[in-house]
Amino acid sequence: MKEYRNYFFKKLGWFAVTLVAAFILNFILPRLMPADPVAAIVARMAQGQTDATGVQAIYEQYIELFATDKPMVEQFVIYVQNVLRGDFGYSIAEYPRTVNDVIRSSIGWTIALQFPAIIVGWVLGNTLGALAAYLKGNFDRLLMPLSIFLSNIPAFGMAIIMLVIFAVELKWFPVSGGYGYDMIPNNSPEFVWSVIVHYQLPFWSIVLITIGGQAIGMRSMAIYELNADYVKYARFLGIKDRKIIQYVFRNAMLPQITGLALSIGTMVGGALFAEIIFSYPGIGTTLLTASLGGDYPLISASTLIITIMTLIAVFALEILYGFIDPRVKAAQAE
Amino acid sequence: MSKVILEVNELTTKYITRFREDIYAVDHVSLKVEDGKSIGIAGESGCGKSTLALSLMGYYFPPLHYSSGEIIVDGRNITGMNPDNVRKTILGNEISYIPQAAMNALNPTQKVIRFIEDVIQAHNPRVTRQEIYELARERFELLGLPADVLQKYSVELSGGMKQRTVIATSVILSPKVLIADEPSSALDVTSQKMVIKMILDLMEKGIIKSLIFITHELPLLYNVTDDIMVMYAGQIVERGSADEVVFDPIHPYSKALMGSIIVPEAGLRDVKLTAIPGTPPNLKNPPAGCRFAARCKFAMPECQAISVNLRDTGGGRTYRCIIPEEDLRKAYENES
Amino acid sequence: MKHLLGQIFRSGKFLFGFVIFMIIMLTVLIYPLLVEYPPLKTISRGTFLPPGIYVNVYDSMTFSESYTLILDNAATKRIASKLNAEDRQAMKEWLVIGAELPEDEIDVDDTAKLIDLWTTNFDPTVRLPGMTNADRNYYIRLTASLDGLLATEGATVAVANEDTGVLEEKYVIDQTTYVNVGEVPNVRVLPLGTDNFGRDVLTELIKAISVSLTIGFVAGTVATTIGLILGLVSGYIGGIVDDLIMFITNLFTVIPSIILLILISFSIGQEKRGAFTIAVVIGFTSWVWTARAVRAQVISLRNRDHVNLSKLSGHSIIHILAMDILPYIASYVVMALILQISSGILAEAGLSILGLGPRTTEVPTLGLMLNWALIYQAPLLGKWWAYFPVILIIALIAFSMNLMNTGLDQVFNPALRD
Repeated sequence: MKEYRNYFFKKLGWFAVTLVAAFILNFILPRLMPADPVAAIVARMAQGQTDATGVQAIYEQYIELFATDKPMVEQFVIYVQNVLRGDFGYSIAEYPRTVNDVIRSSIGWTIALQFPAIIVGWVLGNTLGALAAYLKGNFDRLLMPLSIFLSNIPAFGMAIIMLVIFAVELKWFPVSGGYGYDMIPNNSPEFVWSVIVHYQLPFWSIVLITIGGQAIGMRSMAIYELNADYVKYARFLGIKDRKIIQYVFRNAMLPQITGLALSIGTMVGGALFAEIIFSYPGIGTTLLTASLGGDYPLISASTLIITIMTLIAVFALEILYGFIDPRVKAAQAE
Repeated sequence: MSKVILEVNELTTKYITRFREDIYAVDHVSLKVEDGKSIGIAGESGCGKSTLALSLMGYYFPPLHYSSGEIIVDGRNITGMNPDNVRKTILGNEISYIPQAAMNALNPTQKVIRFIEDVIQAHNPRVTRQEIYELARERFELLGLPADVLQKYSVELSGGMKQRTVIATSVILSPKVLIADEPSSALDVTSQKMVIKMILDLMEKGIIKSLIFITHELPLLYNVTDDIMVMYAGQIVERGSADEVVFDPIHPYSKALMGSIIVPEAGLRDVKLTAIPGTPPNLKNPPAGCRFAARCKFAMPECQAISVNLRDTGGGRTYRCIIPEEDLRKAYENES
Repeated sequence: MKHLLGQIFRSGKFLFGFVIFMIIMLTVLIYPLLVEYPPLKTISRGTFLPPGIYVNVYDSMTFSESYTLILDNAATKRIASKLNAEDRQAMKEWLVIGAELPEDEIDVDDTAKLIDLWTTNFDPTVRLPGMTNADRNYYIRLTASLDGLLATEGATVAVANEDTGVLEEKYVIDQTTYVNVGEVPNVRVLPLGTDNFGRDVLTELIKAISVSLTIGFVAGTVATTIGLILGLVSGYIGGIVDDLIMFITNLFTVIPSIILLILISFSIGQEKRGAFTIAVVIGFTSWVWTARAVRAQVISLRNRDHVNLSKLSGHSIIHILAMDILPYIASYVVMALILQISSGILAEAGLSILGLGPRTTEVPTLGLMLNWALIYQAPLLGKWWAYFPVILIIALIAFSMNLMNTGLDQVFNPALRD
């Protein structure tokens, strides 16, 4: 247990440092660019080019929130304070809603969509890859080209294809949104049903793009393990194949967890596009709205939230991995 | 004469490649191991000795296939048995095995005791975990291994400890025959000695009845096994007692093998060190005549054409060469 | 080298990928030589013209020789194009419910009788139960299209007299009049129709492929160069330099690169976002995997005999990295570059969908084409030619590059061959 505690604190430390680095990147990247969006927006507002409602309010908020008239270091301190308070100011695209409000209403949709979809895709992909490695023959010959093909369709492409086939042509599912456009969120069975129906296409398009790569990885991992020395040894001590297969798949699956931790960033990125294509009311669609509306506070907050969510997912996976793979503990004991 | 534990008659096994070519890696090999006796098999890497180790167990999986011959364990011919039955009743139980790469022989994510449970339950599902634990603890302690090894993962064990754990696990069911395939070659000298001592202990303590020890270091077999067989290109080229084969080899290949190895044992050190030129023949198309002819210093033109059988010297030794024993000895004397 | 190339091209996977990629490349190179349309010129009024051959009607009436062909099924085909089986069934349904005609009296295959019944009974003001507005409009459209459907006489072309302004008959075009398409001076083939701006999709697509490939190549080169240098330095020097570089690498591994791309692209601002800028930015956010792979390779190489020998001979670090280590990892670098190119193309597409791609005035890219198609709702309108070829090409490029990569991997790492 002591080894595991070491591992845990090491990972926790790494998580904390990464989090700080993510904060800094999120703050500094936009300000390093030739056309600093904060400055651009402030300048635009100061000149009074836009005279829509609330411009003055936004402008004043800006000066206060981003302290653009103060030195960089001080700006950063203020930025961190604001982030910790959850105060990201007003959204430009969705004025008079605050950024906090916009994010809060979309983040639940994203978590409820992406988390299960990535897990289901991972499980299905690994099962199929393991079966391909074990059954070989026709199953393998059919599944592998299909997986390679699937893994090469970009996330947005898959979403568009599913949209056209199942929503536009077959009309089995609605084309967009998280629930019927004529509904108000409540607990009625109609609303729940509507949410379930709207959930299917974005969900399965994320699952499908996840399956391909996972199946390919699991297959080669399992083939590698099937040829490992311990398999031969176990066979020659008379252990049944069924038992040996258990060893093999357990061992092949463990690196796949690390693989998931490493690629979850890419997956989340892909899944955002599924949201956009289906106008799912999550962070992905929020990003699109913000980008089209030139809404810097919203972009900045969304990217920060997505980064933090990804970091938490990676951290959770690594903690889980350390728990189930004894090799991690052994490495810590050295 | 004591009881024969393992008898192998004219065993031939082959690899079938992806291109459907047959490679006979074990070619008409016969041997007999008696109760309480051990036999060593030596040869260069690639001579078929590891394949022989796998073949002797009577269980084959692709690309290795059985071709002909018989394996008789304790009076039972196992070559005709259903493979699943062999696996269940023979492997681990009657014949057991210590693999070449013991470093990776244990599943890295399984505790030693869990693996031992799997081994025992594969042969006798009714044994309880408690009984298995008692048995394993007793056996490990008898062999000088701490019992807490049982509760560890293989990654937590040192190289030597891993090797000894594998040996103890291999004999957990007290098999009649133990086949050890280069059990010590990856270890440092101290661990090597420990492992060899442990294997000899198994015989002494009656855990196993007979031993087949395979190595590429011919001199290592001296003091370890009673008899030695030298293998070349899938065939046995010489057989005799350990003393005779190490100090007084007849076959030119055994002679050359003795000279090609750096020997740690005192008393063997004065043997001249020379590498054997050339490489073993391609077994896809083995030469028609003597398989060693191409590399043999004493080869005559007819060696390339005439295939030779093992011949008996009369004194319990056999060798595979058309040159008479006396002529070979004379040739060796002239050399040095 | 020759031997190696031979081996690479004997790998079925590599060859297959290579052939797909070469077909795409050759199309991109040869098409502009044969067809010199400007890629972003609006050629149609109205959006999303479907794929097909467009024949100038004026030319075919006035400038072309006319021929007479007596074809038996011409009339049937003409009617079928306006009135298909579905329409007939819909008409029958209306007549049964709306006009309360007995069902067995209506024969949907007897066109003349059906139209006759329809014109006498149909009343657009009658609302059937459960009929939506869309349904009503459909019936009204249908009625309009029936006009003149059964006519057997030709159409008359009249031209206004220049002096009097009175229409004077010029020709009568019979139903059996034909022109030869080859003789019509103005025919434009639009194999993929036009897009939302009325531009020729195929020409635009070819140009977009070449721009996107260039973006991918620039991004890939930038990423591979950064990854290679960081990997070499980190793997060879080790120690604190390695720790630092690995920290940064791990950081960029877990932070989704698309997020960084979005943040940077947005910050650069619309005006400054050219295709090249985007490519470089993509390169700067996607070097991590190369750095990891190169580092792992270098670590396994750095204590080889020839490297130690070079160290003892007093060669500089740069010399050792370039002469003693780089040649051994060249194959990995090439493989990494291939993957980076295809992921660069994908990244550009993703950014453009978000409206953060290259600014839209000069050149099309695959991502921009998708962006336009999505903004104008091509998928919902069933205008497949505006988005499907783009997705297909992106997938094909990724697929071919992946195949080449797998093929190379199998040649360089024989252990992977099964």
